[in-house]
Amino acid sequence: MKKRLLSVLLAATMAASLMAGCGSQTTTTTDTSAAGVAETESTKESGDKVKLSIYAQYADDDTRIPYDYAVEQLAKEYPNVELELIVQSQDDGMTLSTLAASNNLPDIFQAGTEIINSLRETNQVMILNDVAKETGFEDKVYDSCKELLYADDGNIYAFPYAGQEYVLWYYNKAIFKACGLEVPKTYEELLKCIEVFNSSGITPMSMFGQEGWVTTAMYDAIATRYTAGGIKDLDEGKAQITDQAYVDAANTMSQLVNAGMFSADVSNTNYDQASALFLERGAAMFLNGQWYIEDATKALGEDVGWMYYPAPDEASYEAGKTVFAGGGSTSGYAVNPDSENAELAAEVAAFISEKYCEAKVLYRSNPLVAVDTGVTAETELTPMMQELSDVIPTITSTTKFTWGLTNSIFNTGIMDQTKFLLSTQYTADEFVEEMDSVIKRMND
Amino acid sequence: MKTKSKAGRIIFSIFLWAYAVFSLYPLVWMIFYSFKNNQEIFVTNPYGIPTTFRWENYVNAWNKYDVPTYFFNSILVATGTVIITLLCALLFSYATCRMEFKGRGALAILVSTGMFIPVQAILIPLVKIVQGLQLSDTRWSLILPYVAINLAFSTMVYHGFLKGIPLELEEAACIDGANIYQTFFKIIAPLVRPATATLAIYVFLAAWNEFILANVLVGSNAALKTLPLGVLFFQGQFTTDWGGMGATMVIASLPAILIYIIFSDKVEKAMTIGGAVKG
Amino acid sequence: MAIACFTLPALIIFVTFVFIPIIQVFIYSFTKWNGISGAVFTGLANYMRLFTDNLFYTSNKNMIIFAVIVTVYQMILATIFALAVSNTKIKARKFFRVAYFIPVVLSVTVVCQLWLSIFNTESGLFNQILKSMGIDFRQNWLSDRYKSIYVIAFVNAWQWMGYQFALICAGIKSISTDYYEAAQIDGATTVVAHRKITIPLLAETYKSCLVIAITGGIKAFTEMFIMTKGGPGTSTYTLAYMMYSAAFRSKEYGYGLASASILVLECLMAIVVINALFKKSEADVVKTRKFRIRKEKTA
Repeated sequence: MKKRLLSVLLAATMAASLMAGCGSQTTTTTDTSAAGVAETESTKESGDKVKLSIYAQYADDDTRIPYDYAVEQLAKEYPNVELELIVQSQDDGMTLSTLAASNNLPDIFQAGTEIINSLRETNQVMILNDVAKETGFEDKVYDSCKELLYADDGNIYAFPYAGQEYVLWYYNKAIFKACGLEVPKTYEELLKCIEVFNSSGITPMSMFGQEGWVTTAMYDAIATRYTAGGIKDLDEGKAQITDQAYVDAANTMSQLVNAGMFSADVSNTNYDQASALFLERGAAMFLNGQWYIEDATKALGEDVGWMYYPAPDEASYEAGKTVFAGGGSTSGYAVNPDSENAELAAEVAAFISEKYCEAKVLYRSNPLVAVDTGVTAETELTPMMQELSDVIPTITSTTKFTWGLTNSIFNTGIMDQTKFLLSTQYTADEFVEEMDSVIKRMND
Repeated sequence: MKTKSKAGRIIFSIFLWAYAVFSLYPLVWMIFYSFKNNQEIFVTNPYGIPTTFRWENYVNAWNKYDVPTYFFNSILVATGTVIITLLCALLFSYATCRMEFKGRGALAILVSTGMFIPVQAILIPLVKIVQGLQLSDTRWSLILPYVAINLAFSTMVYHGFLKGIPLELEEAACIDGANIYQTFFKIIAPLVRPATATLAIYVFLAAWNEFILANVLVGSNAALKTLPLGVLFFQGQFTTDWGGMGATMVIASLPAILIYIIFSDKVEKAMTIGGAVKG
Repeated sequence: MAIACFTLPALIIFVTFVFIPIIQVFIYSFTKWNGISGAVFTGLANYMRLFTDNLFYTSNKNMIIFAVIVTVYQMILATIFALAVSNTKIKARKFFRVAYFIPVVLSVTVVCQLWLSIFNTESGLFNQILKSMGIDFRQNWLSDRYKSIYVIAFVNAWQWMGYQFALICAGIKSISTDYYEAAQIDGATTVVAHRKITIPLLAETYKSCLVIAITGGIKAFTEMFIMTKGGPGTSTYTLAYMMYSAAFRSKEYGYGLASASILVLECLMAIVVINALFKKSEADVVKTRKFRIRKEKTA
């Protein structure tokens, strides 16, 4: 009986090894077929399929629709190229840095400013200057987005598709009207609104405080009312957190929190929860990027609008109308220079980024993309987007979203600390003190 | 053996039932969840029966990734991990528990360090080793690290069990002329079956649910992906399709639950046989 | 020869895939490294910084709270349930055995989502139940700077109790019924019999359970990652979370590995302490056994 058990064990182990062996064999064959490819042009003519691995976001409509569209177009333009998608996981770049550390990067990958900067040091990201010229990508980038193309050393490391983006302070016009409130211009007025909303059982602002980027955007929106540089200046070392403007911003945020601007559970509210609350008319205001215009208009129609961020006084409110939190980032599709088909991969990366822009304009009614693809949306712009488009030419200064920050230590610190500032048990002084030590560390 | 009072027994029995409900509700909740959309999950109806059964969550999951392939991979990887882990662990703990040699205590502690280290900490070196051994793009790239990680716990449990087994049995076998291998397979292996059965479930589940290593090691190879990786298709940078996630998780955990329920009978049997041999 | 045959398979796999990486963790904990480009040796700098970092103290405090709650909750309940299920007089034992184990089989993500929704301040089931019972004890369970770690520890303890339960069940199964027969002759009640016989005889099983519970508490990560992301702010950081955050978010890989090294050392210390504690109880087990042999002889 024991012998039987043992033989079962052995048989099973062998079976398992056989299966694993199969897996290895199939993949080695694809490897050799890919290795045989030397010139991109020659493969275009011959019928050989080239497999390129691509690390991309592929989860919601905003990422799936552009990707599917790009793949569809790619099949027409590059019939010999087959993409193997690796879906991006929400792990703060852990997967990508592990792949980079083990020299195992995919042929094409979506990357933000920070990771590109680290990869530059080890030559693990391809310089795309020539490809950008040859494919005409460089010329097609909007003038306003040119800065998103070039890294600080003047080289191109990624093909951007997202254009300049902005933090918008959304509000429900109907709720404001029902409560007899005007759009607040100053913090004083905002505090009054908060009081009224709370007494009528409406959450003043719905906020997904589990996400560090949006709490940072909130702090940034306030900080830009005191100094136009916002968190961007802190990231670049041009300002100190102990400067009066940043201390004031922390105090203001803390004051708003204590007045009850957010729900009690804000620190573990996720995006979907917060958004559902706003769209179900349970909250009067909501902070998110301009990419949310489409979803908000769909659900709330005429009732939703965006307002300029409130400021300490009316003068700074007016002055602040040309200053927005958010901004673009030097990020997009980058290419692994060690790829066997690096040249082809670079061409494909440029192609995909361009098609992303096309899809965003056509199907996501988002004209704020990096590349001028010549297409226009069939439907009219939503009123909120129209309003934003009118304002954009007057904008004098933007800051950064967290993914556009250059220093990872600052990025982590500001996300954690602004999240903490949403707690009534945390003070502005503690915030400033902790941030001060973070900034000291990033300069080490 | 007498229990003190009738009232005490009733209260105790109520407590047992209440905790059972407390343990089973999440299973029901997960199934409800998989038929809802975000609105219902977060705002309108977080706990109850779905107002409309959204089968499209399952259809979505089925269409987005190759469920049968993922499932097949999960089965292979988990089974392979269980078999190799248990065999290696029992051999190893038998040696450190029963054989006299220098440094056996140190060896046991060495292996137990595997229990402490968070997998994120060894992720980068581990991936490099897997690559160096040319294991990338095989199922071994998952099975062997899983075995290594689960060895620590398994050897510890076996060690504990072996210590509780009196030496007399082995001495008797020795007198009968059995060599150490015969003793191990004929006497020891059957005696520790309760532990083997429990560990089999433990290791199986650990391998079945593992995400981080699977994502890094086989995330680029669609033919080798395992079920937990399915959630990636629903988790965006900003928004998550929670209903779809629910469906994915039901698809991933129902087989495990069924396997457990089927297996738990076997476990029970294994335990009684093991018990009958007696210590 | 036999020793090699028995130990090598496990040792080779373990050393290759876990131990060598652990050694590298220790080595890199003495460097400044972003995980990708070249590492620079900085001596003890990372460790010095750890001891001045507020987060390190928060993480350690949380780790202790976590380990204590997990251990106490799991050991007590798992013992009670395992004894109940092994008692042939209890009805529906099979059902209980499966039921108590179910949370272990569920995915952590599901479990965390469920508890997040139950502990929600406004709409959560828990506060609503308290309210319906007329208890005015509404709390921000998971968004409280000081309390949330207890709630998360509870969730972890609740989910993995089933493992301890299964292990203790297996332990009880391997105890010979002779002991109980002897106790029955002496007229002991169930509770006394268990206290005098079962629990001492399960010393080794308990040792395993204790190690699992404590190390599980020390390296806790996933629950924080899903439920609070270490928040509010940084108040539910643990050493494992700190390691993750430093290594992959701040890209201070060397610093992250220093906290991972401390974590491993703390776990080792816990093991040493547990081993020392159980040395004593092993002596008791031997006594019980001798007692049985004497009984048999007199009978």
